Amino acid sequence: MKLSIESAPHIPRPISVQKVMGLVILALVPALLAHWWFFGPGILVQVILAVGFALAFEAAMLKARQVPLKPFLTDLSAVLTGILFALCVPPLAPWWIALLGMFFAIVVAKQLYGGIGNNIFNPAMLGFAVMLIAFPREMSNWLAPRDIAIHMPGLWETLQHIFTGGLSQSQVAYDTLTQATPLDTIKNGLRQGQALSEIRSQPVFGDFGGMGWEWIANWYAIGGLFLWRQRIITWHVPAAVILTTIAFSLPFFLYDSDVFLSPLQHLFSGGTLLGAFFIATDPVTGSSTPRGKLIFGAGVAILMILIRQFGTFPDGVAFSVLLMNSAAPLIDRLTIPKPYGTKGQRHG
Amino acid sequence: MVGNSETISYVDNGKLCQFHGGLILEHHKCESMARPLARPLLPEYLRVSLRLNRGNVSKPVVETGDKVLKGQVIAVPDTPRGVYVHAPTSGIIMEITQRPVASPDADLAPVVCIRPDGKDQWTPRQAVAEPFSLSRQELVQRIREAGIVGMGGAGFPTHLKYQKPAELLIINGAECEPYISCDERLMLDYPHELLQGTRLLMHASGAKEAIIAIEDQVGRVRSVLEKIIREKHYPGIRVVKVPTIYPAGGEKQLIKVLTCQEVPSGGIPMDLGIVVQNTGTAKAVRDAIVEGTPLIQRFVTVTGDVVGEPRNFEALIGTPFRHLLSLAKTDDERLHRLVVGGPMMGYAMPEVGTGIDKTSNCLLALSEEITRHHGPLMPCIRCGECVNVCPQELLPHQLHWYIKGENLEMAREHHVFDCIECGACAWVCPSQIKLVDYYRYAKAELRYLDYKKAKAERAREQHEKHDRRLERLKAERAARRKRHTQRLKDPASARENIAATLERLKQKPAPNRAGEPASISPEGDKSKDNTAETTDNPESSNRTETTPSGKDNNPA
Ligand code: SF4
Ligand code: SF4
Repeated sequence: MKLSIESAPHIPRPISVQKVMGLVILALVPALLAHWWFFGPGILVQVILAVGFALAFEAAMLKARQVPLKPFLTDLSAVLTGILFALCVPPLAPWWIALLGMFFAIVVAKQLYGGIGNNIFNPAMLGFAVMLIAFPREMSNWLAPRDIAIHMPGLWETLQHIFTGGLSQSQVAYDTLTQATPLDTIKNGLRQGQALSEIRSQPVFGDFGGMGWEWIANWYAIGGLFLWRQRIITWHVPAAVILTTIAFSLPFFLYDSDVFLSPLQHLFSGGTLLGAFFIATDPVTGSSTPRGKLIFGAGVAILMILIRQFGTFPDGVAFSVLLMNSAAPLIDRLTIPKPYGTKGQRHG
Repeated sequence: MVGNSETISYVDNGKLCQFHGGLILEHHKCESMARPLARPLLPEYLRVSLRLNRGNVSKPVVETGDKVLKGQVIAVPDTPRGVYVHAPTSGIIMEITQRPVASPDADLAPVVCIRPDGKDQWTPRQAVAEPFSLSRQELVQRIREAGIVGMGGAGFPTHLKYQKPAELLIINGAECEPYISCDERLMLDYPHELLQGTRLLMHASGAKEAIIAIEDQVGRVRSVLEKIIREKHYPGIRVVKVPTIYPAGGEKQLIKVLTCQEVPSGGIPMDLGIVVQNTGTAKAVRDAIVEGTPLIQRFVTVTGDVVGEPRNFEALIGTPFRHLLSLAKTDDERLHRLVVGGPMMGYAMPEVGTGIDKTSNCLLALSEEITRHHGPLMPCIRCGECVNVCPQELLPHQLHWYIKGENLEMAREHHVFDCIECGACAWVCPSQIKLVDYYRYAKAELRYLDYKKAKAERAREQHEKHDRRLERLKAERAARRKRHTQRLKDPASARENIAATLERLKQKPAPNRAGEPASISPEGDKSKDNTAETTDNPESSNRTETTPSGKDNNPA
């Protein structure tokens, strides 16, 4: 009889990378559905495109790097990257945005750094940031949310627009479909010297953030809480992002509420909650010590607010995450916890 | 340094502390607890290891063909850290050979194979009627002669824990590994013996207080023990339930839970005035003193998903695994992995013919299905779950990263030596990385590097000393030569000198003529240097022949 002499644990726990990634994807489903509801079927097409390109690039790169395809293609990490990217791009963005975005995400940010676990920058955010810089127009043409939209594009119109860039068969003018995002609206309004209270009276705004947007944000938060309950993420990063966002934006807001966004507007606009629960919590590119996670989350929030208020881009989540990504190794080094038996003992 | 009255007051308040992280695991002890204790029939042969888990090898004092009696010494230690080994039954020594022993890497070590004669005939035993009249030293000496070691798994020689007086004795009955129930069985079946052993160990350590720590899931143990404590008026012994969180039974974690104190990094419980001992050890001490029985048997749980009748055995040391497995009706066909110890920290054995040793608390026989991983081996995704569960508050993934990159010094900086190898990190890892293997490797490698460095350091010192000596000799030689040339330059003294030399030559036979001036020539000095060098050398090589010694960081 041949006995196995593998080392402990002898009764492994039913957990795998695939399962972890799968749970994260599951937690995103409610927000995806909300997105669909408010902005039409564009998000589904974007998800399919991004995931498809992500897997194709992943497979090609794995082949080129001569690593086994199966475990790495089925780990769902590329799928997750695709979904996160799709959630950030406008629903009617042309198909090549997903192609180029995934090229930078999977090939440049992930595989060239050595594949899963070795990348320094969050792949989805790197892909998104490059697209935002290179194609600002395509990346900011959002749709009007359901409640104020004159017309909700159907699946056919959506496909047409994504793949041909026009709406030849339709009587609806492209301009009536699209609408700047709430944060874009604010940025432009402020540039033109409008007061925030004035800007905010436009229909695109809801109770806290943007109309529709705030609901999607809610679902991100609920999905995030699910992940916390499942022990996939810890409370540190989301708590740090949320509390720092409030604490850091409040003094500005109190100083001049016509120029500076309210803490709630910050929280429920753009990618704040997606970032807090799903992007800044990306384990590979974030800090991994408990104290480091708090610093990381706080840094993301502060940079995000600074970019939103003083930078040229309307939203700053992607850039702030990427900036903090590059600081993560240093943060980790500086926050090594003190192990058992090295802390201030009760007795000298 | 330690206010030990305080150590104890925490427990008086009934306050327990928590350690960081930990796991809640499925218990799986009921399977083996459902059946009563069994004493196996004598096996065909016994294989008694002369080496303990990670300890020294004892020197055999019997030879092949010798007849031995039960309890007779068959091997003696040759260092103060070693242990005595006794024959578990009467019989004939068949052979003494190198065989794989029950140890993490199934290392080869000398094993005495005994064929029982079936009579189980004792060698005369020395029971002590009045054990508390013994002095502490006498007690510890008897413990040593009985060959007693920590029976929870690490196998640390027991007598070494009583070199200094302690304030608190902790009897560890909180086996935190799933499946292992031998401690619970022992506490239920031998409560009197356990308590007597506890009192003897209190006497040996000078501790006025003892805590018997049990898991909060073990049913009746507490009431059984407390009843005896009340009836017999045993002072200073308390039974405390600790939460069943893995690894609460680890020495360091148990101390934290019970006393809210932490054993200093790199230190031992004695630094806090605490001695921790396993329940089995306490009973073995009692048997040794009260009956004069050396450590020749132990409780061992035989369980696992391919075991038909899981149960506890009180088995002789050296009983082959095979014997116990078949008594417990193990399905040989499905047996895929045989683990000595629990599923978290145990080690898989390559064969079933090996005998149990003094530290084997459990045989876990597992099928292929249950041992299978639930995903492929992947790179670390830094999910941080290992950080969340590490009871020593380390960063297991960072350790892994640095060790994988052969950056061992960074692993040291990240406190690899504080790792207790509990395996909690490896258990939660979604990437299925065998993290503990990396830490073991790093520790061994770092110890070796330190040893080499120390050796090089000593060699360098020797070398410098040697250089300084050469330097000095050279200076002396130069001075001498200078004196000499000066003398030669000074005509008066030179003439005197020559006259004296001539005088000497006249008195001595011819052959010495050449040798005489040599004493002041450089060649002469050089030969002196050479002798200096050769006398220096053996000294240096002698002094560097020390071996590295590492601390055993294992939880019980
Ligand atoms: S649990 Fe495994 S995958 Fe997760 S951080 Fe630790 S080592 Fe990496
Ligand atoms: S094996 Fe070491 S690093 Fe892993 S959890 Fe246990 S103490 Fe921490």
